[in-house]
Amino acid sequence: MKKQVTLLKEYTKGLWEINPVFKQVLGMCPTLAVTVSAINGIAMALATTFVLVLSSLIISIIRKLIPPQVRIASYIVIIATFVTIADLVMKAQFPELSKSLGPFIPLIVVNCLILGRAEAFASKNTPVRALFDSLGNGTGFLIVLFIIGSIREILGSGTILGFHIMPLTFEPWLIMILPAGAFLTLGLLMGLANFYVDHKKNKERESIIEKFRSSKQLPTIETEA
Amino acid sequence: MEFFLLFISAAIINNFVLSMFLGICPFIGVSNKFSSALSMGMATTFVMVITAVVSWLIWHLILIPNGLEFLQIPSFILVIASLVQFVEMFIKKVSQPIYRALGIFLPLITTNCAILGLALLIAMKDYTFIEGIFFSLGAGAGFTLALILMAGIREELELADVPKPFRGAPITLIVAGLLALAFMGFAGMIS
Amino acid sequence: MNNTTKMLITLGFIGIVAGGSLSFVNNWATPLIAANQKAETERAIFLVQPEAKSYERIDNLPFEAYKVFDENKTFVGYSLPYEGNGFQGKIRLMVGLSTDLNNIIAMEVLDQIETPGLGTKILEEPFKDQFKNLNSSSPIEWVKGSPPSKDNEIQAITGATISSKAIVAIINNGIEGLKKAELKGEEK
Repeated sequence: MKKQVTLLKEYTKGLWEINPVFKQVLGMCPTLAVTVSAINGIAMALATTFVLVLSSLIISIIRKLIPPQVRIASYIVIIATFVTIADLVMKAQFPELSKSLGPFIPLIVVNCLILGRAEAFASKNTPVRALFDSLGNGTGFLIVLFIIGSIREILGSGTILGFHIMPLTFEPWLIMILPAGAFLTLGLLMGLANFYVDHKKNKERESIIEKFRSSKQLPTIETEA
Repeated sequence: MEFFLLFISAAIINNFVLSMFLGICPFIGVSNKFSSALSMGMATTFVMVITAVVSWLIWHLILIPNGLEFLQIPSFILVIASLVQFVEMFIKKVSQPIYRALGIFLPLITTNCAILGLALLIAMKDYTFIEGIFFSLGAGAGFTLALILMAGIREELELADVPKPFRGAPITLIVAGLLALAFMGFAGMIS
Repeated sequence: MNNTTKMLITLGFIGIVAGGSLSFVNNWATPLIAANQKAETERAIFLVQPEAKSYERIDNLPFEAYKVFDENKTFVGYSLPYEGNGFQGKIRLMVGLSTDLNNIIAMEVLDQIETPGLGTKILEEPFKDQFKNLNSSSPIEWVKGSPPSKDNEIQAITGATISSKAIVAIINNGIEGLKKAELKGEEK
């Protein structure tokens, strides 16, 4: 029997430990495509989270009823249904946003993140756990999309969420709102994230070695004495 | 001539990977070796053309006449999933060498957003049947081109001294950024 | 066999539930989406015709065009949405025209995917304002590098000549089409 982790842990692990973009490298297409501004990033992440949470929940509830041979097909139908609902709701209530996100709302269906969480987590866990897991992953996705969207918006158009924040003399870096800027920003951010993780790991390792040494030192000194 | 332009536009100017961000997952996942990149590109192009044909037929002959436009996403994705499965079985029966070359890539294609993106774009832009085929050929060629360019660069990168945190996905993304810049030079070639 | 039936039943059931819920949401959303689109078109029609209060679609045209009226229901001009190829893709415009079609009242860009920062300058006031009160009795023209000297000329944006040219071409095509259709109608 696997050790049960707390529900809180189930949620927080999605924020960083298994962050969808940085750690699982899933859902790259929307991450790159829609992040020309912070608001687009938020909208995309919220739509994705909506689909992720509801489909995880449903899949987890009916996980024992689905014959294993047709599980992927069933997951896809469930996900596609929620995506269509999200798409229709966006078109009806937020026409402007839906226009700027373009065909990327329908493409949430093939966001590997959703099918990935369905297959790896929701199909094996209780609905409550699946709910927390998907919320966590959704939040993790939101954070990354918001960061990338903000960086690109600040440097590319000198604004954040539509407000001018850069001094007037600031010449926007056009490259940031071009496709190339998306690749560069994400690449650099991922590199930085890896650097931070490596750095932390090294520190931990050193502190363990240090502890080990100091615990050994005492007896050796004693024997020498 | 018009079809040729459509092909070039989909392959180079509006390259699926580098300017429309479709199919990034396989682009990063399968671009470390030239030979597998080529196979993946060919398998994807093959599925793209069939998807374009079938999804066009479903969209224009079943969904629109019956006012079922809202079933577009579920039906397209199901078509793609079953097509991929069917193509896999078909290739396995017909030619073992091709199956060995492409087989392992086929399941990956189902979740390649370039395929669904293609089907949706063809429906959105209201292409005729023939236009759709040329568009899908161009998209496939563009995907293959981006993939093999990247694979070529990554094979060289193996020998380069990349800082450790940037190995793998990060450096690939940065190189893709530079490639995207280069591809921007093609913009406006055809208007 | 038993397994196959189970598979079919599960898939069928999921399909029915999915289809049913989708058609429910779709019924709710369709009128709202249509209303949004209508509101957007309306907004654009009035944007290029500041005096207009109501509008009416012209029938029997191969393309969309609207006649607009002021508060006294007098005919004050045309609003013409028209599209064509820009630098990277389709550009869609709304052009406001005087009753004789020989004067452009204003121009607005509805949709475009031009290069950010260069081609997208077509969205900015300095460029759009050039079209206000432009004489369109003959096709409008563009000049480069120097301010326009004639009343049917605009200055192309530096670094985005193709986008500027494209807009001029789209407007000219649209006006030509509308003139043909409308003036012919009047002769009859």
